Parts: sequence; C-alpha cells; structure tokens
Amino acid sequence: MNDPLATPLWRGARVGTAGLALIAAVAFPFVFTNPAVTSVAMFTLLFVGSSSAWNLFSGYSGYMALGNAVFFGSGAYFLANVAKDLHLKGGIGIFALVPLAGLFAGLVGVPVGWLALRTRRHTFVVVTISIFFVFQLLAYNLHSLTNGSGGMQLPMPPWLADTYNNYFYAAALVVAVVAIALSWAVRRSRFGLDLLAIRDDEDRARGLGVRTERVKLAAFALTGFITGMCGAITAYYLGSIYPPFVFDALFDVTIALMAFLGGLGTVTGPVVGALLLEPMQQYLTLRFSNAGISLILFGCLFLLVIRFLPEGVVPSLARLLRHVLRTRGEPQAGPGDPPPYDSPADHSPAAREVPR
Amino acid sequence: MATAGALSLSLALTACSSSTKSTGTKSGPIKIGISLSLTGDFSADGKAFQQGYQLWANAINASGGLLGRQVTLDIVNDASSPVQVATNYQKLISVDHADLTFGPFSTLLTKAASQVVARYGYAFVEGAGGGPSVFTSGLHNVYDVSLPVANNLVSSAKWLAAMPAATRPKTAAYATEDDPFTAPQLDAARAVLEAAGVKTVYNKVYPPETTDYGPIAAGMISAKADVVLVGTLLPDVTAFIKQFVQQKYNPKAFIATAGPDQGAQFIKNVGANHTQGIMVPNEWYPTVTTPGNAELIAAYLKAYGGTAQDVSSDVPEGYAVGEVTAQAVKAIGSLDQTKLNAELHSGTFTSVQGPVQFDATGQNIKAFAYAFQWQNGALVPYQPDAGQLLVPAPPATTAILYPKPVW
Amino acid sequence: MSTELAKAVVDGVLTGGVYALMAAGLTLIFGVMEIINIAQGILVVLGAYLSYVLQTHLGLDPFLGLFITVPVMFFVGVGIEWGFVRRLKQQNRTALSILVTFAVAIVIEGILTQFFSGDLRSLHAWYVDRSLHLLGFYLPYIYLLGFALAVAGLAALQVFLYRTRTGYSIRASMQNRAGAQLVGIDINRVSAITFGIGAAVTAAGGMVFGATTTFNPNSGYDLISRLLVIVVLGGLGSIGGALIAAVVALVIEDVTAVLWSPVWASTMFFAVLIVVLIVRPNGLFGRQAARAQ
Repeated sequence: MNDPLATPLWRGARVGTAGLALIAAVAFPFVFTNPAVTSVAMFTLLFVGSSSAWNLFSGYSGYMALGNAVFFGSGAYFLANVAKDLHLKGGIGIFALVPLAGLFAGLVGVPVGWLALRTRRHTFVVVTISIFFVFQLLAYNLHSLTNGSGGMQLPMPPWLADTYNNYFYAAALVVAVVAIALSWAVRRSRFGLDLLAIRDDEDRARGLGVRTERVKLAAFALTGFITGMCGAITAYYLGSIYPPFVFDALFDVTIALMAFLGGLGTVTGPVVGALLLEPMQQYLTLRFSNAGISLILFGCLFLLVIRFLPEGVVPSLARLLRHVLRTRGEPQAGPGDPPPYDSPADHSPAAREVPR
Repeated sequence: MATAGALSLSLALTACSSSTKSTGTKSGPIKIGISLSLTGDFSADGKAFQQGYQLWANAINASGGLLGRQVTLDIVNDASSPVQVATNYQKLISVDHADLTFGPFSTLLTKAASQVVARYGYAFVEGAGGGPSVFTSGLHNVYDVSLPVANNLVSSAKWLAAMPAATRPKTAAYATEDDPFTAPQLDAARAVLEAAGVKTVYNKVYPPETTDYGPIAAGMISAKADVVLVGTLLPDVTAFIKQFVQQKYNPKAFIATAGPDQGAQFIKNVGANHTQGIMVPNEWYPTVTTPGNAELIAAYLKAYGGTAQDVSSDVPEGYAVGEVTAQAVKAIGSLDQTKLNAELHSGTFTSVQGPVQFDATGQNIKAFAYAFQWQNGALVPYQPDAGQLLVPAPPATTAILYPKPVW
Repeated sequence: MSTELAKAVVDGVLTGGVYALMAAGLTLIFGVMEIINIAQGILVVLGAYLSYVLQTHLGLDPFLGLFITVPVMFFVGVGIEWGFVRRLKQQNRTALSILVTFAVAIVIEGILTQFFSGDLRSLHAWYVDRSLHLLGFYLPYIYLLGFALAVAGLAALQVFLYRTRTGYSIRASMQNRAGAQLVGIDINRVSAITFGIGAAVTAAGGMVFGATTTFNPNSGYDLISRLLVIVVLGGLGSIGGALIAAVVALVIEDVTAVLWSPVWASTMFFAVLIVVLIVRPNGLFGRQAARAQ
C-alpha cells in the first residue's frame, strides 16, 4: 500500500520540522530567560532523553522495562563518587564526566539485562521492578559507596542565578539530541529491524537467525548509557542525591507513560510525550496545590488519551493526516520510492499486530 | 513538536505569572515565597506547616503588618519531590518576585531548596530542615529555627544515665529507620548511654521501605532490654507499640524520636489506652510559657478547631520561622537580603519554641529538647534539672512515670 | 536466637497469609484476562478506607463490615473493567492495560486524598491488640484471623472456580480465551465478573492490611510492587501459588531480619524472585504457556 506521507515532499517537511525544532530548542533559553521556565525546560529535555532511551529498548523490542531508574541512579551515584574521590570543584569540567557516568550505567545494564532478559512479557515487567527495588535498597545499604540515607553532595557550580540553568540546559539538550539520533539510527539499521522482529515474534526471529539474546542485551545497555547520563546531569543540578530520589519508582513509570502518550516504538513519540507531559505535570502540581485534584486530573487525562488516542499522539495524528490526504486525492508516492522506514504510523503497535 | 513543548511551557509561564498580582513594589504587601509538600510522602507535615505559616501571617497582619506592610503567603506545592522544589523556589523568586523565602518540610527537601535560594542570595529561614547534611553543605544563608535533630534524644538519654544505680537501666535496645532525621538521634543517645555503662543488647537499622516490623520488634523483645529507644516516624512506632502490646513486653522506658508527638493522630493509631508512659522529645508543647505561645494556641483553635493537644509540633515550627524572620526584618528596617543575612547571623531572637541564636552553619544553638511523656491521654513536658534528672516543666507538676506502666 | 528464629518463621507465615489475600485478586485477574492490574495496590488501600469509614461512622466491626465492603468492592471492580479495561484494543493489550490501570490507580488515590487527606489511619478492634499465648509464642489474633480469612477466602475462590458454572467459564477463559469464546462463553461477562471478584477479595485483604498497619492514600505504591513479586513468584494466574509464594517470601524476609539484619530483609524479598526466575522462568507454579510469546 502506498503511503501518502512517504512522498519526497512530506519527507522534506519532516526533515525541515526536525531542523526547526532543533533551532527552537537552541534558541529557547535566549527567548525565555526566566530561570523558572528554563528549569522546567531542562528537566523536560532530560525526560526527552530518558523516554527516548526507554523506547529504544522497550518500544522497539516490546519488552516493557519498568526499572530504568536503575540506570538513572547508577549514573547519578557514579558522578557523585568520582567528584568526591577526585575532590573536583564545581564548574563546566564536571560535564565531561557525564558520558563516563553513562558508560558506567550502560555497564550496569549488562548483568542486569542478562538476568532480566531470561524472562519475557509480564514476568519481565515484574523482574525489572524487582531489580529496581534491589538497587534502591543497595543505595541505602552500601554506605561506603552511597553514604546511605544521609545522601551525597555534589560540587556546587559557581554560576550566577540568571545563567545557572543555561549550562544544564545545554548539557540536557546534547543528551536529548544524542538520544533521538541514536533511536533514529537504530530504527533505520539492521539492529533496529532485529529488535522489531523480536517484538513481532521472538521465536520466529530466532529461527530466522536473529541473535536475539545479543540484540536485546545491546539495546538494553544502550538504553542504560543514555539514561545514566540523564541521571548524572540531574544529580549535578540538584546538588545532593538521596536513594529514594535518584532510584525513584515514579521515574520508571513516567518515562514509559511519555513514550506511550507520544506513540510507542516511534522515534518522535517519546519526544512529543515528554514535551507534553513534563511541563504539564509540573504545572498541575503548581496550579492545584490543594489535595488530590491534580492527581484526579492527571489520571483522567490519561484515561482520555488511552480511550481516544490508544496508539499515542504521533501515530494517531499521522493516521488522521494520511486519511485527509487520501480523501483529498493527493498524488500518491511513486512505485520507485523505497519503503518508508521512518514514517511513524508504520511502527505503531497497530500496524504490527503482535500475534498472541 | 518542539513548538508544542514551547507552547505548553509558555502556557505554564503565563499561568504562573497571571497568578501573580503584584511584583513586590514598595507599597504593596510583602510576599513570602514558600514551597510545601501538600501532596506525596510529606503531605501530612506539609499541611500542618502551612497552618503554622498562615497563623503567623494572620497574627502579624492583625498587628499592623511587617514594616507597615501586609504580608501575603505565596505557597506552592512540591509534591514531596526535590525536582519540583528546585523549580518552585526559582519560580517564587524570579517569577513571583517573593520578598522573603521560608523553608519547605523535611531535611531532604530543605537541602535541595537551600542551594537554589542561595544562588539568589536570599536568606532561607526554615523550621524543618534540621538534619546534619543541611549544615555541612557550606552554605551561609540557611537558618533552622528548630533544634538540630541530632540532639533531640540527648536530654532523655542523660536522664537515664544519671539515675541512681538501683533504678538505672542495665541494658538498652535501639532500632531506627535508615533516615537522616532519625538515625543521628539514636547515635547520639547511644553514645551517652554506653558511656554511662548501659549495655547495648540490640541495635539495628531498617530501611524506610520496611513493611513488616515483626522481626525487629521480636528482636527487641527477645533481647529483654530494660529500655527501648526507637528512631521512628508515626507508621513504624505504631507497629512497634502494637507488637509490644500483643507480646506483652513492657520495657521500663519506651522513647521514640517521632510519632508520639503527633497528638490526636498518634492516639487514633495506637489507641488511647496504649499511650501511657511513652516518651518523645520535642522542643515545644502546647502549654509552654514562651512568649506568644498562648496566642498561637488560641488562634489555632479558633481557625482549625480541635483541642490544644491536637496541635502538631509542625505548627509552632512554621510559626517560629515567621517570628524570627519578622524580628530580623524589623531590626534592619528593610527587606535587603544582605543585611538580613548579617542580622540573622549576629542577632538573638525569641519564638514560641524558645530563644533562637544561629551559629555560622545556621543551627539554633539556644534550642534544647524537652522530654515528653504520655500520661492519661496528654503529653506532659519534662526538663532536665541540675543533675540531668527530668523534672516537670511548668505548668506540669506530676512526676515522670518510671518504670513505664504495663500496657 | 532460636526462639527468635521460630518467631520469625511464625510471623512470616501469618503475614504471608495476609499478603496472599491482597494478591489473590491480582493473580486471578491476570489468569483470566492476561493483564497486570497496577491498581491492585490502591484497591487494597480503598478496601481499608471502606472498613475505616464503616468503623468510624457506623461503629461497625471491621470483620462484620466485610459484608458491606466486599459487595461494594465487587461493583468497583466490575466498574473498572467495564469502564476502562474492556475498551482496550486487542493489540498491545498487555502494555496498555498497565497504563490504564495505573491511571485508574492515580484517580482513586486522588479521590482518597481529597476525602481523607494524607493523614495516617488504622483500624481498631479488640483482636488487634490482643494475642493468643500458645507454645511460648504470642500470636496476635488479628494475624490469626487474617490468616484464617486468607485460607477461607482462597478456598472459597477455588470452590467457586471448580464447582460453579461461572467458575467453569472463568477457567475456560483462563486456558484459552479464543476457544472459550468459540464455545459460546461471554468473555465480556466473564471478564467483568473476574475483575469484580478480584476486587471483592481485595476488600478482605484491605481490611486486614488496615488493621495490621497504618495507611494513607500513598500506601498503594509500596504494596503493588510487593504484590507483583508474590504473584510472579507463585506463577501468574495460580491462586494456590500466590499463597505459597507469599508465605515463602515473607518467611525468608523475616528470617533474614533476624539472622542477618533488617536492612537486608527487604532486599532479600526481591532477590528471591530474581533467583527463582533464573531457575524457573515461570515462577514456582506457573503455566508453561507463559514462556511462549
């Protein structure tokens, strides 16, 4: 079937939008100089990174991980420990350690993934939750590495209040862009196809020669790398870390919700999800201070989205757009066009039915 | 897609600023920015703190305001999250243009918030961030009007240690949640008791996620310690008392860091007949004769009802933050944060919790802990005499119950 | 030490019974509908609050109150299934069900917060404070009654599943959803009843939970992770497995607290699951089918 969104025109529009989005993201702190806004924007970008990372493994492979805070916390504690042991002073130099923190979290992902990936489906979900709690408890108990419940302090940067957030915003933007680029590259690669094959039918994929164990583990570790960098930046920004704050169960759920909201298994889905959800969450908390109303609103909003956009915002909009284009009778894609790898609707869950 | 984000961000921004009526002009009301945990883990304490802040604001406004201007509280919710608390204080200072900032609830959130507030050079007076980590961060703008938490149990421990040999406990059991509020208190108390020759027969730390306190209670019971000291909040102290009652274990003294101070909530949870003799430290009590306290209690009862015993100790902590800040502001005659910091470091103040004077790290060196004992459904205050023994603090007159009556 | 150890084992068994009662609904719902009900934790808390309301406003004993809370929770369960779960499309149902039940949990938590604030509550009765002195142990009546209630409740559930017509339909749907539909079983009706029963059993679990610990609207989060571990450990869908898994996990946790240290007790609870799943990927009593995707 020809996809009206796969024409060169629409493809160009997509590239253009991505370029504009990047320009907008770079320009953002120069337009909105208010620290209260740049702070929300920075956390949003970190969630763009974390949610894209979650999607890179869970969205593509169909393995629902609800324990990615393991990576987040590992990255945070790695940075805190290195800064402490080397007696580092606050400043831009600390950011150079962020990729190392990511690598460390990625390494943590290897044994964790080896354990968790022995199970599938629902069991996998629960195993990742369990491993998450083991890590949180280790952070409490391994006093020599974490100082337990007393928490750890990170070096304090010397920057002034007006520009303070911009350094972190820049770092978060780099991580977010890396996350999106990686998830786009994986999506277009053989590696990505293997992951999708695993989602569709793991046993058949194995039968067809996909080295499923290796592919899953590699994607899991890659997720850990990105998420660990997000954790390290958050730790540096907050200045102090405690076990329940960096190994946070809510983080596990939030990044998955973002990917769902935007569109599971798509490159842009988690990005859109994070851009919508994080500012909204902070706004609702601020706006409705009194009692459970913000919780009720937040929950109802989710129920509405699941009810009316069950595939997520991006695939649902793409479908709508496609429908509009078809009925208008726009010129269809020529026969010579390559298959549309990166059209969001194509990797939406609906388009690839999981046999059960 | 980025436009969608930018849109929702700017929506959030406009919504934030639309709720801002004035931007701190000289003539308008003085705006005080506060982030409190109105939802999430700390919500019970957060709300009690809100009452304390509000009662102070009502009181000062009724007496003509601060520097002749009325005071308004700009309170936002942080849902007990450090990420939100960091955002909130940036919003309070840079968007809402708060003239003064007061602290959030808990050591954990105070630590995260203090760094943000320090960046703006604001003085940060707080009443619930007394954990050691707040004072070791090297900041010079944080002031805790309450007692540094590590010293909470010291009066009680010294009382046990100072008893005549015949009645002095021989053994003690300790259990504490792994929490920066409780664990340092137990360490300090144990140091006092061990120095006095009281043998430690049980000493365990348990994680905050613990849901089954049975084994820990069983450990203390089978250790048969003369006295039990626990580093608890309300849920775990309730569990221990239930287990001790069920197992008919009666230590000569049962002292908890927190939980029994929660008045009505504590009675509701453990049952009124099981409170007799239980002890808890605190630096304040509803009938304490500090200046302004009677007015605070009267105002509380008028605004929220209940009885004086229902007043959570969070309320005077919040109230005292307001009092101390107001005295410092009046002393310098302006809202200049540099002068305010200097005044807070050098001045001495009074509060419903007693005298306040800060050391270089912001700890209140004038504060000391009363020991409280539940007697016939009410908390009775005790203070150390010259020989470290606990004697009734006015207006209390009944002697302390030791050993604790059986359940 | 040995009496302490024996005490830990007894404690673990009794507490395990209470956890099994809370987890039974979760495993039943999974068995029939193949969805993970994240709202199970908040349903336990809701059950506790219902008992609390009956006790404080009508002075009703929590056990007697079950005659009201169990039917109420049944309809809450049916309502959740009808309102949200039924409307999920077949594709990607597993993942979406986690999302939808999480959203339901948030809404219930918000409503509870609105009505009851974040204050900690607990249930009271004569049997909460007293204990039976037996063989040198003090056995709290509430745990004994809770354990008895768990065994009775789970047995009744088994009888229902194996001896009634609706039970047959439910079991048929557990084994093969499509097949059950083919032989004329109304899957929607079965799903609604299953969800209702799952929630109804939880009312009993919530009551015992509320009598043994303090709770507030936030308590659901700590619970759900533990309940999930128990259910997976026992094998998803197996009610007897959940009972045994709950007892095993809690005994190991309590013994760890005595022999080693309380700080490692919770860690062991989760570590047990990881270790068991390395050896048996389907849990202790799981169906082999769970392995095939």
